Amino acid sequence: MATDTSTSTKFDVRDAEAEEKVEARVGLRYTLSQVRRDPTALAGLFIIGLTTTVALIAFVDSTVFEQLSKIGFFANLGVEKYWLAKTFWYSPVHEPAGAEILRPPFGLTNELYPNRPGTLDHPLGTDHRGRDVLSRLFYGTQIAITVGIVSTGIAMILGTLVGAVAGYYGGWVDDALMRAAETLFAIPFLVLVIAFMTAFGRNLMFAMIGVGIATIPTFARLIRSRVLSVREEDFIEAARAAGVRDRNIILRHVVPNSFAPVLVQATLQVGINILIIAGLSFLGYGAQPPTPSWGQMLSSSRNYMLPNPWFSIWPGVAILVTVVGFNLLGDGLRDALDPRINN
Amino acid sequence: MSRLRYAAGRLLQSIPVVLGVITITFLLTDAIPGDPVSIMLGPSPSAQQAAAIRAKFGLDQPLHVRYVNYLIDVIRLDFGQSLYYGVPVTQKILERLPVTLLLLVSSFTFALVTAVPLGVISAKRRNKPTDHVSRIVALFGVSTPSFWIGLMLIILFAYKIRLFPATDLVMPWAHPSAVDGASTQLEVVLTALHHLVLPTITLGTLQMAAFTRIERSSMLEVLGQEYVKLARAYGVSEGKILRKHAFRNAQLPLITIVGLQLTQALGGAVLTETVFSINGMGRLIITAINNQDYLLVMGTTLMFGVVFVVGVIVTDLSYAYVDPRVSYDDTD
Repeated sequence: MATDTSTSTKFDVRDAEAEEKVEARVGLRYTLSQVRRDPTALAGLFIIGLTTTVALIAFVDSTVFEQLSKIGFFANLGVEKYWLAKTFWYSPVHEPAGAEILRPPFGLTNELYPNRPGTLDHPLGTDHRGRDVLSRLFYGTQIAITVGIVSTGIAMILGTLVGAVAGYYGGWVDDALMRAAETLFAIPFLVLVIAFMTAFGRNLMFAMIGVGIATIPTFARLIRSRVLSVREEDFIEAARAAGVRDRNIILRHVVPNSFAPVLVQATLQVGINILIIAGLSFLGYGAQPPTPSWGQMLSSSRNYMLPNPWFSIWPGVAILVTVVGFNLLGDGLRDALDPRINN
Repeated sequence: MSRLRYAAGRLLQSIPVVLGVITITFLLTDAIPGDPVSIMLGPSPSAQQAAAIRAKFGLDQPLHVRYVNYLIDVIRLDFGQSLYYGVPVTQKILERLPVTLLLLVSSFTFALVTAVPLGVISAKRRNKPTDHVSRIVALFGVSTPSFWIGLMLIILFAYKIRLFPATDLVMPWAHPSAVDGASTQLEVVLTALHHLVLPTITLGTLQMAAFTRIERSSMLEVLGQEYVKLARAYGVSEGKILRKHAFRNAQLPLITIVGLQLTQALGGAVLTETVFSINGMGRLIITAINNQDYLLVMGTTLMFGVVFVVGVIVTDLSYAYVDPRVSYDDTD
């Protein structure tokens, strides 16, 4: 089992009993027990669980129910009323006939409907094409969670590799890779991603890839600094003496032992990337209409801020809640993984 | 002297970074599909016209020749002509840069002025209600999309209460005759400040929150140091410990972040400028990218690259001011 040995070296002057205590403070099981006791991390987990559930509902709704409806599954059972996109809420993609546009949320009025408060049919109102805002928010959750995790995954895998190689080999390899990372930092982030997307494609896939590549330096620098200290450990030297190949030393020993801070950063980065990609969609890069992404919803809401300000409020609240979830979990994980703070 | 030598050495080391910025931007702008000439001349230009433009801007040459030519031009401090605007790149940048700088300076000022006290108070009253409030504010600040804050501020303060305007940013150095309802320079400055309030909060909230978090954790770390405990044991008052012993030592991480955030805040500026319809650098770059105005894209990213490099060096040098133990004799 991978244990965090680099921290134990700080305590090498203490007696064996203290050493044992320190040993018990690292590792996956300890982390999990800390997370379980930390209200911050728990709150984060709760929010992430909630948003993931919503994303799953949207996913099931958009794929499973669609397929079931195609084969006439609902006709015999009479359960079609549970298909969100079909009945209770309007389709998030197709414009319905006779739609009422820019309806206010339940129980409230706006300039367009001064005498007709919103109804439960559209709890959060409708958008500029009469589509239900709540169901679009549901579908947007699916997009946000996916882009956040995929873009972070790209950055984490590539950044870990780059950082581990740079830190392990040192010398000119290190110099070259770190200068490259610095170069990516020196170009304003959003400009880099927008130029990348203009060159290769204005859609969510390239938004994820672009943001992933642009955040490689964050992970590369983080893991490099860890590798620099892990590299000097006895067990690495032992592995080298035993004739283990460099690639295996990096992948099996160096990376797992440097992983704790990467996990913290990755959790926080999911939130950051959700914000960035929402910003890109807001600027017209990223999700294109009619894809119900939160950033894109905010972008179209700009033209209707006076008649129906509610339309601008909900997507932002959704982004805020989701990102708060990842930030809380990240903070909680950091507290759990960094034994210094708990002392 | 050693400090000067250090700065010079660092500048030399940054040359590969600046070269990298040029190369990446050059390749990216070249990969953008479409033809810049057709954007300039309309959808169906005559063959001679197009050829003439191509020859004029050197677009008929292969990629590596254009790249080398561009490098030579940059060394001669010639950044070329904007294809789209038809004016020198330098002129266009000089025209737009002050707007964005004004926005960045005001939002960073707002962020620092609010974040430093918040962080210090939060650390001093750790786990008390004040701390909780400040931490929640900071958490929400780093989790909220800046452009959404802008939209909410516009709805609330420009449409509902009509307290602050949402568009038509005025520069404080504009001539009074060019500004509505202003007859003296002072009135122009006041109008400018009035217009700046909403964009500043929009752009500055994220920074404010990030700075608050760093200031708090850094203060907490310093307050747990042995020398602070010693001062406490000697009976030095808490206020004096905070002011004289802890505060200055806790500023290093904040300085680092402020330095690094300088270029990254431009991303936020793109969004803020879009929300408030401000014609600054952010929107200039986006327009340039969309129009394949590659010399303008190159010029602006190059400028930000240099700003970044210089910013990092200045940040490093300022460590010595805050912490006299930092020395630059040993360049690594």
